[in-house]
Amino acid sequence: MDLVLAVTTGVLFGLGVYQLLRRDLIKMAMGFYILFTAINLFFFAVGAFNSEVAPYVLAGVKATLVSEAIGSLKVPADPLVQALLLTAIVISFGSYALLLGMFQRASRVLKPEGDTRDATLMPGDLNSLRDTPDWDSASRKGAEA
Amino acid sequence: MTNHPLLLVPLLLNLVGGIFTLALGTQGAASVLARLRGVGFDRAHRMLNTMQRWVAVFLAAIALGVVLTLVLQTFAADAPLTYRLGGWQPPYGIVLVMDGLSALFTLMLSLVSFAVLLYTAQCRDDTMNRDLYIPLALFNLVGLNGVFITGDIFTFFVFMEVTVMSSVVLVASADTNKSPNKGGIEAAIKYLLISAMGTLFLLVGIGLVYAAFGTLNMADIGLQSSEGTAPALAGVGAAVLLCAMLLKSAVAPFHYWQPDFHTAAPTPMSALLSSVVVKIGIYGIFRLVTLMFPEFREEFGAPLVILGVIGVIFGGLNALQTHNLKRLLAYSTLGQIGFILVALGWGGVAGLTAAIVFSFNHALIKSAMLMLAGLIASRTKEKTADLIRHVGLGRGMPLISLLFFVGALALAGIPPLNGFIGKLAVVQAGVGAQGWLGLGLTIGGGILTLMYGMKTWQRIFQSEHDHNTAPLKPFNQGDSPLAPALLIGLCVVLGLAAAPLVNAALVAATRLMQPSLYISAVLSLGGG
Repeated sequence: MDLVLAVTTGVLFGLGVYQLLRRDLIKMAMGFYILFTAINLFFFAVGAFNSEVAPYVLAGVKATLVSEAIGSLKVPADPLVQALLLTAIVISFGSYALLLGMFQRASRVLKPEGDTRDATLMPGDLNSLRDTPDWDSASRKGAEA
Repeated sequence: MTNHPLLLVPLLLNLVGGIFTLALGTQGAASVLARLRGVGFDRAHRMLNTMQRWVAVFLAAIALGVVLTLVLQTFAADAPLTYRLGGWQPPYGIVLVMDGLSALFTLMLSLVSFAVLLYTAQCRDDTMNRDLYIPLALFNLVGLNGVFITGDIFTFFVFMEVTVMSSVVLVASADTNKSPNKGGIEAAIKYLLISAMGTLFLLVGIGLVYAAFGTLNMADIGLQSSEGTAPALAGVGAAVLLCAMLLKSAVAPFHYWQPDFHTAAPTPMSALLSSVVVKIGIYGIFRLVTLMFPEFREEFGAPLVILGVIGVIFGGLNALQTHNLKRLLAYSTLGQIGFILVALGWGGVAGLTAAIVFSFNHALIKSAMLMLAGLIASRTKEKTADLIRHVGLGRGMPLISLLFFVGALALAGIPPLNGFIGKLAVVQAGVGAQGWLGLGLTIGGGILTLMYGMKTWQRIFQSEHDHNTAPLKPFNQGDSPLAPALLIGLCVVLGLAAAPLVNAALVAATRLMQPSLYISAVLSLGGG
């Protein structure tokens, strides 16, 4: 199981980094989420899976009774890792949603004039859209404060 | 061991304030007010917007008072103040801790956030009229307050994400089709992606540390690593965590998002971002090298000094060649963070004291300077921070000129201003640590600060102004100089009467060098 987790985490990391470095915004967002999935899996490997018994038991029933009941003598799994995993999933999902919203807004705001494509369905890289400011050059008309 | 529920107050104040102002900003609130007062919907909406701003200022003032009380209590007590959320005995559960370092960083945050919200209340920028602006700014402060007082490394990550998300939205919201503020969305996306990489590293580091120690409580990690039972995995975890902190602080190899992001932010936000938000990583490094992994202090010291020196010189040179006032100040932050890192790298009580004093002073100066930059820009017709357009703009603004001059001198570290105290402390730390090469390069790089400060001041306030190319708005249509004036005044006071701050930083640094104090207070060892 450890080997499976290790290999999967590694493959997902590689995929995520590759996707993140592509120029297309949608593919970039995918890479972002794949990377976070890799991290979640990594957390899973840290300790959520070191036992076969759930950490949460019914009130009044001891954990050992539960493990005997399902024929295993192992101690319950670490609940903290599972809680962390849950938090990390929520946060990564939130970031992903924010990123997608931002891309959607970017493709709407940065759309070149006269472009009639549907903004919500327009991926593509930022650089092909509106000229973004070249801050350090003196020629620009000026950025807002 | 007593609980100090007062520690929760700055967090809760901002959280409740955020939710309250969120409710004030809704359409429902506006229509209710319109019906009650018998005015039009738009007018009610504007009234509520003004109310949002002043509620935020009021809350910031209360938070400042509470934090001052907490700081006094912290330095009066021998041990750090703690509060256990939910009453769990550490290392289980989440614990809030305020020691000398947290106290000074929280005080810095409260001072700057009060000034920032005061500036926001009187700012005429369109971005600040948005319903979500004030709630998001307050949520940002929740994250910042939380980062500085949490004693749990995973909660540190969560609060940091709160800060990142809200600042991303604040910066992106300034960029619309109509507004002249181009680049906000681009900068926000860049920051979101890069800071997500930092978050990723932080999570990997937390996972490794958890695998090594089986705990997330910073004090417990410190206890176990001081017992010398740390496996090799812990070293990897510490290095990964250090990288994540450096990324969050925009240190030289990871800096490229910072100038874009701080330039594109609306003025009050960029004042907060460039002064306090970049200190999150610095605070994390403090905790890493003093509390969690004191045995790696030597190994981490050398790279920190090298990166710091690179930052000082690189930031200074970039600030000299840029043509945008806000961007100049963002690059200057890069350089000033370098000074802090150099002092941290030298370490020892002197180095830590220098880093704390420098961080504190830099936050005050930089936020004041950025507000002044916004103030000058608010007087131009198209609201620009372009220095080419700023030539001679300040000829008729004697007060702003004086404030800017004092601020630039403080940034460069000229006595008797507070920047000098910080630089002096850094030099003392360097002499104590015998780091002559680093010291020479740092001081040399520090001269760049004086160069770009004075160059900019002369260009804006001393040159001839051509009214045809850059028409000026009258004084009463610009932003109010009250908030930056307060901060610059504080800079002068902290320069003339530096003893309280330096002594407090010295006490904080001395306690940081004895992590057992923090550990026993949090874990209630030794009969607590």
